[in-house]
Parts: sequence; C-alpha cells; structure tokens
Amino acid sequence: MSLVDPVIELGRGLWRTLSSMFERTVTYQYPEHKRTVRPRFRGRHVLKRYDNGLEKCIGCSLCAAACPSDAIFVEASENTDEHRFSPGERYASTYEINMLRCIFCGYCEDACPTEAIVLGDNYEMSYYTRKDAIYTKDMLIEPVSSVNQTTPQKTPTGVFTRSVPEMKDAKD
Amino acid sequence: MAFVVLRHRDILDIKKLEVYRQNGGFEAFQNAVKNLKPDGVTQVVKDSGLRGRGGAGFPTGMKWSFIDSKNWPHYVVANADESEPGTFKDREIMESNPFQFLEGVALACYAVGANSAYIYLRGEFWQLAGFLDEKINELNDAGLLGAKLFNTNYSLNIYTHLGAGAYICGEETALLESLEGKRGQPRVRPPFPPAVGLYNKPTIVNNVETLTNVPLIIQNGAAWYKSLGTPDSAGVKVFSLSGRVRKPGNYELPFGATFRQLIYEHGGGVLDGRPVKAIMPAGASSSLILVDEKALDTPMDYASVRTLGSDLGSASIIVIDDTVSIDWVIQKTIHFFKHESCGKCTPCREGTYWMMNIAERAHNGRKDPADVELLHAVARQMQGMCLCALGEFATMSVVTGIDRFPSDFKNPVNLQEKIV
Amino acid sequence: MDKQVTLTIDGKLISVPEGTFVADAARMADIDIPVFCHHPKLEPVGMCRMCLVEIGRPIRDRATGQFVLENGQPKIQFLPKLETACTNRVEDGMVVHTQSESAKAGQKSTIEFLLTSHPLDCPVCDKGGECPLQNLTMAHGAGKSRFLYDEKLHLEKRKPLGELIYLDQERCIQCGRCVRFQDEIAGDPVIGFDERGRSMQIMTSSEPGFDSVFSGNTTDICPVGALTTADFRFGARPWELEEFPSICSQCPVGCNITINTRREAAADGSMVIKRIMPRQNETVNEIWICDKGRFAYHYTESKGRLTRPAIRKDGKLSRASWDSAIKLAAENFAEAGKNFVVLASGRLANEDLFNLKSLADHLKGDAVLYSEIGGGELTSAIGISPDTNLGEVGPGTTLVVIASDLYQEAPIWYLRLKQAVRRGATLIVANPRQTRLDDHASYVIRYAYGDEVKTVHSLDKKNKIGEAFTRSENVIIFYGSEGLGVEGSAALASACAKLLNEYGFAGKPNNGLVGVWQRANDQGAWEMGYRVEADLPRFLRGKVVYLVGVDPAGDDPRLAKALENAKFLAVQDILESATSELADVILPAQAHTEREGTFTSGERRVQRYYPALPVLGETRPDFAITAQIARQAGFIQEGTSVSAAFDILSETIPSYAELSYSKLAEVQPQWPVVGRGDLYYGGTTYENKHGLGAHLTTTASRGENVHILRVHRESAPRPQENELLAVPVTRLYDRGTTVLPAKVLKNRIGKATISMHPDIAERLNVKNGGLVKISFDGHSGEALVQIDKTIPAGVVTVPRSMGLAIHEPVPAKVK
Repeated sequence: MSLVDPVIELGRGLWRTLSSMFERTVTYQYPEHKRTVRPRFRGRHVLKRYDNGLEKCIGCSLCAAACPSDAIFVEASENTDEHRFSPGERYASTYEINMLRCIFCGYCEDACPTEAIVLGDNYEMSYYTRKDAIYTKDMLIEPVSSVNQTTPQKTPTGVFTRSVPEMKDAKD
Repeated sequence: MAFVVLRHRDILDIKKLEVYRQNGGFEAFQNAVKNLKPDGVTQVVKDSGLRGRGGAGFPTGMKWSFIDSKNWPHYVVANADESEPGTFKDREIMESNPFQFLEGVALACYAVGANSAYIYLRGEFWQLAGFLDEKINELNDAGLLGAKLFNTNYSLNIYTHLGAGAYICGEETALLESLEGKRGQPRVRPPFPPAVGLYNKPTIVNNVETLTNVPLIIQNGAAWYKSLGTPDSAGVKVFSLSGRVRKPGNYELPFGATFRQLIYEHGGGVLDGRPVKAIMPAGASSSLILVDEKALDTPMDYASVRTLGSDLGSASIIVIDDTVSIDWVIQKTIHFFKHESCGKCTPCREGTYWMMNIAERAHNGRKDPADVELLHAVARQMQGMCLCALGEFATMSVVTGIDRFPSDFKNPVNLQEKIV
Repeated sequence: MDKQVTLTIDGKLISVPEGTFVADAARMADIDIPVFCHHPKLEPVGMCRMCLVEIGRPIRDRATGQFVLENGQPKIQFLPKLETACTNRVEDGMVVHTQSESAKAGQKSTIEFLLTSHPLDCPVCDKGGECPLQNLTMAHGAGKSRFLYDEKLHLEKRKPLGELIYLDQERCIQCGRCVRFQDEIAGDPVIGFDERGRSMQIMTSSEPGFDSVFSGNTTDICPVGALTTADFRFGARPWELEEFPSICSQCPVGCNITINTRREAAADGSMVIKRIMPRQNETVNEIWICDKGRFAYHYTESKGRLTRPAIRKDGKLSRASWDSAIKLAAENFAEAGKNFVVLASGRLANEDLFNLKSLADHLKGDAVLYSEIGGGELTSAIGISPDTNLGEVGPGTTLVVIASDLYQEAPIWYLRLKQAVRRGATLIVANPRQTRLDDHASYVIRYAYGDEVKTVHSLDKKNKIGEAFTRSENVIIFYGSEGLGVEGSAALASACAKLLNEYGFAGKPNNGLVGVWQRANDQGAWEMGYRVEADLPRFLRGKVVYLVGVDPAGDDPRLAKALENAKFLAVQDILESATSELADVILPAQAHTEREGTFTSGERRVQRYYPALPVLGETRPDFAITAQIARQAGFIQEGTSVSAAFDILSETIPSYAELSYSKLAEVQPQWPVVGRGDLYYGGTTYENKHGLGAHLTTTASRGENVHILRVHRESAPRPQENELLAVPVTRLYDRGTTVLPAKVLKNRIGKATISMHPDIAERLNVKNGGLVKISFDGHSGEALVQIDKTIPAGVVTVPRSMGLAIHEPVPAKVK
C-alpha cells in the first residue's frame, strides 16, 4: 500500500458526492408535493354513487365475505321509495372498514356486484386511536356535487326496482 | 251409408226422446241391464275394436277392463271439455244427438259398475249443460235413469258439471281435480284413473264421441262395428274439418278414408283453388304434415297417419294452403299453449313462455336465424320432460314446423300478397 | 319391520323399505338427486321436474311372473323418456342412472327453464348463501343462459302475505312446497296458487294474511328466497351468522332450535340474536317450530334487563355488590325457617330448580311452583315413559286431549297429533268449546265447563268412544287447564291418572299422562318435588319469599298486595318487573340464551341448551346464585359447573338416574337428512349435532308402586243472575313478558279479547269487536268481545296473561 492510495480513494468518494449534486432529484417535498399514483394503485376505498346520487352499494356484504382480513362490516336495511339510498330493495345502513386490518388487496372490488366499492388514490391514512381507524360509511361515500343528490332521496314508485344493474363485462 | 254417431243427420228429431226410442233408443241399455253381465258389455266393446276418440286412441274396452274391482264405488266421467282448437264434434253430438250420448254414458256405467256418472263440460258450454240437464230429467221421468232401473237392483244417476274455462281440464287427471273442486292441474300418473280417479276411487274417463258409439255397438254387435273402418282403427270417426277449405264442418267417415276424400269430396276443396301445403290432423296439438300427392292419398286411420310423422289425435283436420306462413301458424299455437299452460311443471310453464318470447321476436321485428334455432332447441328441450301431454303438444307444431318448412322461417310468406 | 326392496342406483346396490320414492332412496344411499318441489315430509307432486333420472325396471315374464334373464342377469327395460325420481316408488331389481348423459341433460334443462324467470338477484336475497336454487345451479346448471335478460318478467318483489311473511313473486319457482306444507302438515290451508301458467302466484286467502302459527316454517322449506320473514328480512347474510344450539323456552314442547347471532352496530357492536331456526329432533319437533318460538326471542335483549345486584336501603333500591346482596338474602332466608318460601318459575333450568328445592328443604321452608295447573306429580308417576315417540305412533294408539287447545298452547303437539291421526292413530278431543284439533279428531266430546272429571269417568263407557279407548294398545292423555284453576286441573289429572292406571296404560312406551304446562320446564319442577299453591295471596302473606323468574305482582294486583305484606322479598330474575320494584334484594340472573342448562319437556325429555350470547353485565346463572346463598347459609351446593350440578341432581332424583350431560349430548342419525350440505332436500333446518336429549323414567316404568289419590274438588262456582261464568283459556300470543317485546307479533298479540255466545252478546247488547268492562273477584278490566257460537251459553272465556288476572273459573259481571 502506497501513501497516495488513501488520497485517491478519498478523491473518488468526494467525486461521487460532487457529481450527484448535479443529478435529478428522486425525493418529493411531501406533503407540499404529492406523487401521482399508478392507474392500478390501491388506496383508500371509496363508495361510489350513480349519476343521480343514489348509492351504488346495496349492502350485500359480499365484500365482507371476500375480505381476507375481515376488515369490512356491513349491515343492510330496506329501501322505500320515500326513503331511498340505493336502487332496489336493500341498502347498506352500516358500512365500516377497519383500515388497520385492511391489506388493500382489492378483493372487495372484485366481489362487488354493482362496482360500488373502488380502491382509490388516497394513501394518507393516519390515526391516533384504534377506533379512528374504523372508517364509517359517511367517510367512505363519494361526496355529492349538489344538495338534491344526497341520500336518502324520495323517488317515484316503480323506477328503481333493480338492485343489480346490467353491466358489460369488465375490459380492463 | 247410415250415420253412426251423427245420426241426427239421418233422423232429424232424434233429440226428442220419443223419436230416439222409436229408433231403437235405450233398447241396448235396457237389454244390457236386464240380460247382460257387466263384463259382457265390456267384452262386446273390447271385441268391437273401439278406440278412444279424445286423441290418445286407447282401446276403450281395455280401459274399462282395467277398473279396480277391489275398490268401490266406481265412477264414469264423460269428458266434454272439448277445447282443442279445430275440434267441434262433441258439441254437435251433444246438441243434436244427446240421447245416444247419454245412453253411451249409461252403458259405460253399467259395464264398470258405476252408479254415478259426471259429464264434465267446458265452461263455455253452459247452455249445453242446461240442455243436457233437461234431457237427463226426461230420462229420469221416463224411468231410464234413477233407482232400481227396469226392476233390477241397478241404479244410475248422471250429473253435469261445468268447468271454468281451462284447456288443461281436458287432460283426464286435471279434469278429475277440477271436478273435485280443486285447481285444474294434472296429477302424477301412474296411478291411472281406472285405479285411482275421482275422489281417489276407480274412475273411467271417456270422450263424448267414444261413448256415443257404444249404444249402436251393443245393439248391432261387435262384428258390425268392426266391419266399418280399417283393421287397425275400427268403426267410424267424426272428422272436424277446418282451415282454408270451402266447406268446413264435421264429417262422419269410416276410418281409412283419405285426406283427399275429406278435403276435396266432402270439404269442397281448398279456397281459391290453392294447393294444400300442410295439414294439422289433431288441432293445435298436431305435428304438421308436409303435404304432397302421397300424403293426400294416405288413409286417415291411427297407423297410417303415423307414417306421415304425425298423429290422428282427435281428428281435427286443419288445412293450410300456400298463402299461410308456417311461422305465423306456430306463433299462434305457441300463444295458445302459453295461455293454457297450467303452470304446475317447470318445462311447460317456463318453456311455453320462453317460446312465445322468441316466436314473437322472430315474427315481428328481429329476424335472426339464431332465434329460429333457439326456438327449435327450446321446444326439443321441453320434450319428454313435462308432467302431462300439454307440454309435449306445445312443441309438436314448433319442432315439425321448423323441420319440415324451413323456408317459411327464412322468408316468411306474406299473407296479403298471396290472398289478393 | 317394513319389507325391504333392493335396487341399484348409479351402480350402488342399496336396500330401502318398500314404498320409498327413488329420490329418497338415493338420499339414504348418499347419492344426490337434485330436487326442488319434493320434500321428504310432503306428498310427492312431480312438479319441478328437477329430479329427472333414467329408471330401468326388470322385465317380468307375463306367464310366470319371473324376471326375464339376459346373460344370467335380469333384463332391464328403460322407458324412452326420463322419469321423476320423486314420484316413482322403488321396485325390486330397479336400475337408476342419475349421472347418465340424458339424465344430466334433463337436470340442466330444468335449471335453465327455472332461471328464465328468476331475477338472479342473489346479492340482495336473504336466502343467498343457503339457497337450494343457487347450490343446484352451481352443481347442475349450465354456465350461461340463452334467455335474453331484457325479456325477464318483472313482478312484485315485496308482497306481504301477512305481517310476518313476505313474498317475492319474481324469485318464486312455483314448487308449491309452502302451499303443501300449510295443507298437509300444518292443516291451515290459508295460502294457495292464484292464476295459471307463467302468471301463477302464491296468494293468501285468510284475514289477517297468512293466518297460521306455523307460517315461519314455509321460509325454511322454500327452495329460493321467495318467502322471507319480516323479522329477518335483510337482517344478515347467512354465512355471517354464528349458530348455537338451544331449546325453545316458550312452551312445554321443548322444540330444538338453533340461535343465529351476529354483531350489530345498533347494539353498539355486541352480539345479538338475528333469528331462531328449527333444529332437527324427530322425537320432539321434527324439523318445525311455531311462530312464537321463532319470533318471540327479543325479550333477552330488552332494555329492562336487570344487570346489577341491588339492595333496598331507606326504602330505595340501590346498587350493591354481589357479596352483600347474597349475604343479605342468606341471612333473611336462614332466619325465616318455616316461613321461607321459594316461588320458582318453570322458565328455570333443571339445575336451578334443583338447587332451589334443596335450599328450601335444607332451611325447612317450602318450594312452590308458580303455575296455574295442578296434578303434575302424577305425570312424574305415570307420565310418558322412555322410548315414546309421538312421531311414530299410529294404528293401535289412542290419543286423548282434554281441557286443552293444543293449537294455542303447544302448537307443535297439535301438529304431531294431527300427523299421528294421518298415520292411523285414534284421537279423542274433549273440550267445552270448539278447538282447531277437532277437525282432525276421530271423536269429539263436548262437555260443560266444570264437568271435566265426569267426562274422564265416562271415557271407558260402553260406546264407540269407550271402545276406542279401552281396546287401544296404547293411550296417551294430554290434560290442560282450559277453564280450570289449580284445584280443578289437579282433580282432572287425578281422574285421568286413575283411568290410565286402571287399564294399564302406564309404565310402557307411548302410554301415560302429559300435562300441557304453561312454561318450558314446569315438568322439571314437578319431577323435583315442587308443589303448586291454589291460594297464593293468602299463602305468601308474612313470608320470606325467594322469587325466582316470576312476576306475581305484575300478573295480579292481589298478589302484589300479598307481596307488599310479605316479610322479605328476594327477587332473582332477568327483567325489571312490578315484582322487582317491591324487592328487598335484587339478584340479576342470566337469560337462558346466555348460559348452559337443561329443560325437561312436557313429554319428559331432558334436553341441553348452550350459551349463545355473551354474559350481560354482572348477571350470574340462577343455580350459581342459589348455591352462593346456600353457602352463606352453611350448606354446600354445586355452584360453578352446571354439568356437575346436573350430576348431583341425577343422583338425587330417581327419574333422572343415570343421565349426564354427555348422555344428553348424544346424537343418532335421523331421517330425513337435513343440514347445510343438504339444504335442497330438507330445507334450512339445522342438523342436530348437539344432542337429542333423553327421556326420564316414571315411577310406573321403574316398576314401583303408584298411588293415586282421588282429588276432590269443589264444583264450579255458580254465577248468579246477571253474572256469567268467566273461565280462563290460554292463547299462544299473550302479553307475557317473553312475548311482548317481539314487535313483529304486535298485531297477532292484539288486545285482551273475551269470547261469548251470540245469545249472550245479544242480551248484553254488544257487537263483535265491541269494548266491554268485565269484573270478577274484586278485579276489573276492559276487553274486546268476540262472538263465537261454539262457546257455551252462560260462559265467557277470558284469556290468561292478557291483562285480566284470571286464575280459575269465577262468576263475572260484564257490561
């Protein structure tokens, strides 16, 4: 080992530091800057609505049955035309997801017969207590754009009789 | 040749009791009750080769001999629920020759040891029911019905009963259910009515025309009756001719007369002189016969009609000429059977409904060859699965129509065009 | 034993009793033939055409009757078309193919046909997950339908048949199981088919709709989600439910049930009962339960539950610790000596009753059963013996029902007796007024209220009824309390017992005396040696009373007064009540759904029930509370293990000898097969995996001497002019604390209704449905009038537990 070797090694190290100063940054200034997620990203769940504001969720509990970590709890009640949440006879009167249990596998999406539950882009979930980790229906449901789209709605008789809409086979 | 069943065409006033009696009426019954054993009557009917005229063509004497003699009482039911589209013979018989029919009922009762008989009439025959009630009262007054007939121990009463207008009540077990006051739906067979029938008692159910043949058979003997008709199908038959013929109506001919004789000699030929395209020999329940020269010369008896891939059934000959599109015909028959299906068994309830959907779709609007295929497939799928014959009948014209007249489904005949 | 027939199904050689249908024979051999309309308890109809199979029969030589042989084997002839396995009976040498190409094609076709009109709304259907149509479609259906979805029929999806049962017309597959159940099994033909063809639909012909106490069973046997109960509608998905075996606590029949529970948000995330389902026990309830058992379970979740012990301090009840409450009770009980009375209810378990009785014995006090029916000690002496099965009795057995309306008091017994008549048993019904069982009776006896004993004495007279009675091989007498109080029913029981004993109808299977009790475990109390007290108000005055599971103060103002005058009251119960208001100490107990125990049914069958819900608050099981009190009083009782308590009971009480919890948990294969894998066959009834229970022995069956005292009874009171004789009768849906919290039954419970003959109504100038004031015995109340010409003149029937405190026949004034 000669005397210059450590100097060379030191120089190589400093060169790496110096050169990386001119490379493109890979870190984001979160939370000021947020990264866009991939199209198939599976984030926090959203309960979707139809265009008229009725909830797509019919309270069938198939998501809960499909859930491998038993994170979903659904309770159903009966719709009337006076007091309608979703098309058909049944709606979810209670819908809760325990986000501490959820593993974001997306099985609930697959199981849903009405495409009501969708795993969205939101990954910002933090809580101080375990109870806060339970997201209730009002937290999960898609917000409405106008007041007359809120549920429950008063609907004409004999129009919203089908729970499960006719859908094309999923392409994507 | 003298008429056997439609005797009123020879003897105009035969619906009057004294006229009927002057012409030998009730001699057969009186003679049977006084001098013959019940088995003897059955034997004569058996020897005569008389077969059921309701459609199935089951030997009548054999049916009578099947009656369960360990279980009493016995009943006789005359099936006057004449509802097959194109069939109108029983109505004429009962309206114009009632006493011969009633004597036939009485003879059947004596043969099987029944003391009560019911005439089950379709609901639309309410006037006829009143008329028959009058005739039955006349017989009671004349001592030809009632207790201790002709100073023997034999008693007999005949009652009429009106249905509520369901085609299915022509099926014998559904008829019995309806007669008992229940929903007119067929029962599971076996057991057959001669073993377990009305009120779970042995019962003989016979068609009106069948029974009307009986008095003359007893009177003139089995050999006389056998000499009429063909070896396979003895005696005479009333053919109800309808469709595109000049002179539709009832024609009594011996079995073995050809289609050509019936349509051209008796029926005056086809309207506008058009050719016969198809024949429905058993009303709406028929398999369609594809008509050619050979078919026209086929004798009308049970065995010969079968060689044409059809059944003589109740002999309601509906003539179809080349102005009529077969897809229209089957749409009509499907509609009829959909309306008349009792709903008890799945293939018939759902199948007729489904067939009607497809047929209407195929006939009006959507012309998709796949629909015709599907219609054929659904009809085939119903075959052999139903509880009673109605479901089978519903498929007959559909399957044979599509098989034998495929071009009518590709290019339906335009009715308007041909008629003018 | 029946003649056996040997046949081959799918190459498997099996032997089944003659007369079995092919579908059932296959089920016995563990071969699945799919069915919808066929049900093993119903007559076959062959409607759904799902069970199509190929059936071949050996050809017999016409002359000799012998099989025609081919290569040494009988020659088999198959029909050209498929046949239904549910309507064809087995024959020797028959060959059945269920898996052949054509059979499978037939089954597939039927599924396709059925689904053409079915809405396929499984995600919202209550049956989804336990649905025969769903299961059989997966097993036998084609993957795709050729039917156009747009052309589906749209019909009413929410049609109430009554307030308890809803019909979804779209889902109905017209199998008629419900119609046939109501007609053949329940004998209430109140639903039927309307219209025909594809328009055929279920409709009800009664007012109120679907007026039958067995209506809930139709939802169990419905092979689709067409019939649902109002109570469970959208309640939960079946797979989310937990199942706990239990015994119904509503009447003495002791129906085996399964309690389905689930967490509920409304109950703050705790477990609640979602529904009650029948559990098979062919010797008790077969696969049925009545609507009261099915719907009246809400009381255990009622807000008025007692959850913490309390002690009266300065005239007010205040919270106390268990130790202090028990100590206070024990001190007062021990001091009282002869003045100590246990007043216990038949709602308690055998173990509870046993501990209570031995505590009373130890302290030299008295143990009284809170009941209005006497004579129960006789059922312990010559009651039904082991190996009795009402489900099998037939020709040679005479069943007598006297002074009881079984349809109202014990519906499943009504149903079982009705079936027994169908099998050929003789049924004699003796009652002063017309009851539902009359329609099925071989002989009906009408007597005047008060002539019960005289009627029993005339049962062996030389007439047709007497012959039916005396010439029978077996006789079972059911006696009840129609128009009777404690003394009257005791006299009736004694007369019945004497008659049975005289003719030797005792001590052998299918013979004996059965009491139609008011509560589930009254029989257990009689076996332990409890007695009933005819004049409770006088008896309780000045006593130290340990009230367990009873609410005398709420039932009768005279009893409330008597309790106010008692020396000390310890109230041990599950619910707040008028009695608990008067208590000096409150001991909160666990409901039977929260603990383990056993009941003894009226047929003297001991059956286990298991905990279904978590323990509520500080409640403890009754037997444990009693044991703790006993310990304080210096007497050791088993208070921790209920099975150990039962062991001590079985060592002490002779009729329970040799029984243990493990013996009670034994099961045997039962027919028909039910269970989750066989939903399509027997319905959603639960399979019995937790014990069929065991019969008690009787004094007579043990070969010991039976002494029956003749009980004399004052003749019925004679009403004076402008008075009527008010007689107590029992109704199924009453205002009892266990029934009232069931909101779905609200309309069926209704208001207190008294019935009278039209002549009397005319004299009083009241119309049907009119409101009257009835007063008797210093007590009065309002009631609706029902005019019924089967009620004897001079009599007015007053329902028990409907707000009118009637215990025995009394003269009454009606205005």
